Amino acid sequence: MTCDDVRPQLTAYLDGELEGDRGSAVRGHLRGCAACRTASNDEAALRDGLRALPTLDAPSGMWAKIQTQLADAEIADSEKPRWRRVLARWSPQHWVTPRLALASGALAVIFCVSAWRYTHRDHELPQTALVLPQLPTLPAPATNNGDVATEIAALPKTTSDSYAAAADELVKLATESRASWSDSQQKQFDAKVAELQHDIATADEGRPRQRAYRTLIRYLQRAATRDEVAFADTRGTP
Amino acid sequence: MTDTAIDVPTPVLAEPRTRVSATLSDDAQLIAACRRGEARAMEMLYHQFKRRVFGMAHRIVGPNDAEEVAQEVFVRVFRGLAAFRGDSALSTWIYRLTVNASLSHLARRGRRQEVGDETLADVPAAPEVSRDPGLAARIERALVELPPGYRAILVLHDVEGLSHEECAAILECRVGTCKSQLHKARARMRELLGPIGGPPQ
Repeated sequence: MTCDDVRPQLTAYLDGELEGDRGSAVRGHLRGCAACRTASNDEAALRDGLRALPTLDAPSGMWAKIQTQLADAEIADSEKPRWRRVLARWSPQHWVTPRLALASGALAVIFCVSAWRYTHRDHELPQTALVLPQLPTLPAPATNNGDVATEIAALPKTTSDSYAAAADELVKLATESRASWSDSQQKQFDAKVAELQHDIATADEGRPRQRAYRTLIRYLQRAATRDEVAFADTRGTP
Repeated sequence: MTDTAIDVPTPVLAEPRTRVSATLSDDAQLIAACRRGEARAMEMLYHQFKRRVFGMAHRIVGPNDAEEVAQEVFVRVFRGLAAFRGDSALSTWIYRLTVNASLSHLARRGRRQEVGDETLADVPAAPEVSRDPGLAARIERALVELPPGYRAILVLHDVEGLSHEECAAILECRVGTCKSQLHKARARMRELLGPIGGPPQ
């Protein structure tokens, strides 16, 4: 055992934490090494000197001062509004563990319910904010008696129909608020709607037509909510 | 800290007292009585811990600020007893408050405590256990030179005689960390003190 091995263990050795072989190995080295023996004696003297430092007594007036501070704090507390006292009682030591557990549990439940609802959700139509109540309902899957092919074939048609209904509804809404617009706004709006409706009429059945409907619906939504961007945007919707 | 407040006489208040006088024989009863605001219990708790709290604060922050820190600790103890859940022993909790208050006090002051004649005059004569009669004063002087973290572990383990497990609970670290910090702190102290000339083995 070398000095480099012994020195890091001196503290533990002097505190009686090395048992059996480990203690006797250090002791054996100390018997033969004067430098380590000096270091060991110095540390032991330091340890004993620290332990022998006199006990310091608190100043005699300290208790009175503490009582005064506590009294002042109680007076300050009593002057606080009730809600602040209630909040103060909710210190982290009080509530963090049980309430954290409760909150985690609640979050877990919410997550599970959301996940379940997501995986079991009905097939929903693409929705726009303004047309939710007016959307025609799709035939329930059960009525197709499990004929998936028929159902899939019917989807583009029903989707286009629902878009058409939404667009009609929005045109009505926009027309109602149209009167309050300036002449140039009205003209611009009419031209844009006519252009987009023309796009729909000329688009191919299926996805291209649905895309054209969506463009019209978006434009009408913005017009109906009097979004000024819509009027300024001569290029149509993105 | 509260010298101005002391001048105003504190009105004598009727104190709450339980119908059956508690024996206050253990921590739980003492804590419960303190929470109820029983003056006798609070004073008992103060006298039980005042020497160690003041002693630790004295040796970590120095004599000039020790009383201020000790007062702060006891105010925190009595104000915080309602939230004390007994996860650790009452003593461990109080010593933890003491060490934390002392270290934050030093951080706030942002300077090491100067040792002057006044400091050394405050150090009582050491009992006749050491071969070096000036050793106690030299140790006190060297303690002040130590970094605060080393000072805390030396005070807890070597001066107050707490176990490594208690020190680890107070300092909120692992026992292994505690041991290695003690080793480094003693090595630093020996550098500061030079040869001590301990007893031959």
